[in-house]
Amino acid sequence: MTKRLAVASTALVLLVPLAACGADPGPAADPAAEEEPGYLAVADTSLEGTGTLRVHLDYDTAEAAGLDPRSADVARSWSLMGLSYDTLVEVGPDFEFLPSLAESWRTPDPTTYVFTLRDDAVFSNGRPMTARDVRRSLEHLLESESTWAAQLGPVESVEETGEHEVTVRLEHPHTAFLGALANTPAGILPMEEVDGGSVDLTAEMVGTGPYVATEHIQDESWTFEVNEHYWGEPPAVERLEISIVADEFNRAAALRDGSADFAYFNNIDTLDQLEAEPAARVVFQENTDFYYLILNSANPGSPLADDRVRFAVNAAVDRNQLSELALGGHARPTGVAPATLPDACPAGELPSALLDDDEIAEILEEAGVTEVELSLVTFNSETAPGQIAQVVQQQLAGHGLSVDIDIVDDASFGAALYSGSTATDDMGVSWYAGYGDASMVSRWWNTDTAAFTADFMVGDPAVNDLVVQAGRTPRGPEREAVIADLCAAVDERSEVVPLVTRPSVIGYRTDAVSPTLHSVEGYGDILRNITDFRLVSS
Amino acid sequence: MRILTWLPGRLLGAAVVLVGASALIFAAVRFLPGDYAQIVLGPLASAQEREALRTEFGFDRTVGEQYLLWLGQAVTGNFGHSLASGQPVAGELAARLPVTALLTAMAVVWTVVIGVPLGILAGTRTGTTRSTAAGRLVSSLGVSVPDYVLAAVVVFALSSLPLGPSVGAVGAPAQDLGGTLLALLPPSLVLAVFTIAATARATRDAVLNVLVEPHVSAAVARGETRLFIITHHVLRNAAVPVLTLTGTITAMLLGGAVIVESVFDVSGLGSYLVQGLGRRDYPVIQTCVLLATTVFVLMSLIVDVVTGLLDPRVAVSGRSR
Repeated sequence: MTKRLAVASTALVLLVPLAACGADPGPAADPAAEEEPGYLAVADTSLEGTGTLRVHLDYDTAEAAGLDPRSADVARSWSLMGLSYDTLVEVGPDFEFLPSLAESWRTPDPTTYVFTLRDDAVFSNGRPMTARDVRRSLEHLLESESTWAAQLGPVESVEETGEHEVTVRLEHPHTAFLGALANTPAGILPMEEVDGGSVDLTAEMVGTGPYVATEHIQDESWTFEVNEHYWGEPPAVERLEISIVADEFNRAAALRDGSADFAYFNNIDTLDQLEAEPAARVVFQENTDFYYLILNSANPGSPLADDRVRFAVNAAVDRNQLSELALGGHARPTGVAPATLPDACPAGELPSALLDDDEIAEILEEAGVTEVELSLVTFNSETAPGQIAQVVQQQLAGHGLSVDIDIVDDASFGAALYSGSTATDDMGVSWYAGYGDASMVSRWWNTDTAAFTADFMVGDPAVNDLVVQAGRTPRGPEREAVIADLCAAVDERSEVVPLVTRPSVIGYRTDAVSPTLHSVEGYGDILRNITDFRLVSS
Repeated sequence: MRILTWLPGRLLGAAVVLVGASALIFAAVRFLPGDYAQIVLGPLASAQEREALRTEFGFDRTVGEQYLLWLGQAVTGNFGHSLASGQPVAGELAARLPVTALLTAMAVVWTVVIGVPLGILAGTRTGTTRSTAAGRLVSSLGVSVPDYVLAAVVVFALSSLPLGPSVGAVGAPAQDLGGTLLALLPPSLVLAVFTIAATARATRDAVLNVLVEPHVSAAVARGETRLFIITHHVLRNAAVPVLTLTGTITAMLLGGAVIVESVFDVSGLGSYLVQGLGRRDYPVIQTCVLLATTVFVLMSLIVDVVTGLLDPRVAVSGRSR
């Protein structure tokens, strides 16, 4: 992070005069303004251009199981694999669920989902999709015991109940079921070929989606061409040339000089760097992802093993100030239910938010904690975690707590906090994907099922029970109450403290493309509406 | 042919250095915190899943066993498979090496073509206060400005001007040599700034040292022209230290390429190494670093040979050691 910050800041400082010599672009448009409710941008359907879209992404998919979507764990894998694989349902701009390969569905009771399948979906190898493919795809996912199989929930059975109908029965209600079905790991696979051994899911992608991957150079590039068998309207973007450009500064340069048409950024400062570019529009997209602060309760030698100290530290963190100083005011304070999802709990009403400085001081004094030095570790592949760590450091300094920050690479960060043995660092800053339902991310606070948290969380049976309840209670007032209780319980435990949402920036050249973009994204899939994109010219 | 008497010893020494370096590299990589399983499986994976992946890649064996296995394969040209892509490292390296070789070669050309004449100019015009000050300022800046800062400034400037792609436009040299050379022009110049400045300084100092030698004074007394003195007396004698430095910094350019390739988004050896390091892709890291070490050792050897040819006293000295 330090190097990239140095690179960007030095370049900016040295080249301010150069930038100032450019044409005045006039007042910048609000990057968070919606063109339509729920949409940052809506493709201009009057544009008739077709051809190639050049996209720059920050990292490539590199999963242990190659291109097999079932175990895909990161957002870029979901985006890239999602170009070839369709899911039964997809998520809309307000986190409602929309038809995809399932043209409709009904829930005769809270544990039964009956999906009516499209009869015109065809895999890219030319074979029509069948109910068997759908049944076996879901079974195949469940057999994988992957993270996403767990998100799919307590599936009791999957049956073919008609030529174009599949019925899924659950052991008990699972509110996030459709949310789990809507993401790429639940993509529908050509199971006849997979079971027959003629398709190796780890090496190739044969789906019903709009594109077929024709070339992939690891960590360098992808080329996707239109799937001639695609069941939807033929996309205007006939060819996608995706470059993997790790450096944020480089992606901004490519957008500026026109060698990229569309690019993703996770540094909020890119908004400022690119707003002077007349041919580029930069928009700020909210996510359900959020940053969290680990307060290690599992290490008996740490002052944070004391529940009172953790709660005081949590209360000493001002989330609004954190958003202002570290993320340009573009992040929302959040509890364990992401602030950008429908069932969010107001962060300002959490127990820790109600404490004033005197009360925090009293708790620390009562716990005998004065002049304590705490260690905090975070990672450098993004700029925000280091910035958040520094703001937390300053905020805790105001309460007599000294924080020593260690910013390391991803592998070292993993070794520090997720090695399988008790973490020795007192604190850590990272982020969780928020997905499409409030109960999905809250699973990571259930120490009965989220084994990976054992390195830094002792856990609490009451919290675990509330996580289970949040997952089983149907959407409505009752669930809102459960989630409010869960948010409060997680906040009081203060083992992993939700901080603020994790915004991102999308830039595109208005002389090349007119995209459709949701205002809030749940699965980090910036290419979600690629079939709606329009190109300015051929 | 006195060179033949000491060359075998040097070659043997180089081989010993390479084997020792390979062991050090292998061990150092294993001491890095975190591993591939940590990165690729992410934080949500269980300890059992990580362990299974480690076993799949043979990381459950002792480091000694892993090293001997890797070394045994490496001497046959098999450097293993990239953990991330599953492709042979040798193949991925072969695809990226031409770009880095071209980038480095261009930087060497700029170093020699610009650095040496600048040094001679500075060394033979010491009387002019203004030129001396300017020369020192330029060389100091060249040596002290980090290449990642300069590279970022150049990328920003080029991307702000309508000159075409500023980053990521470097293709395969075999397919479009002209286009590749053009695209590599900015990164190679950035890469060469340090070496130009260092070479100019070394050349200047070497020229100044030779200029006060009695045989140069004698040449002046004989009325030989300035150009003749520089080309026939100064350059040959100043060449040895300049050559030594140029050889060393040429090998160092590979290190600089790691940064410059990353900033200019050049798909070469340097960016391959950075990606490998980030993922703890051990075969990739080991092979890249070993290759860089080999280049360094070979350059030192070549410099020794050429120096011996230019100045037989060095060869004698080398033999006597």
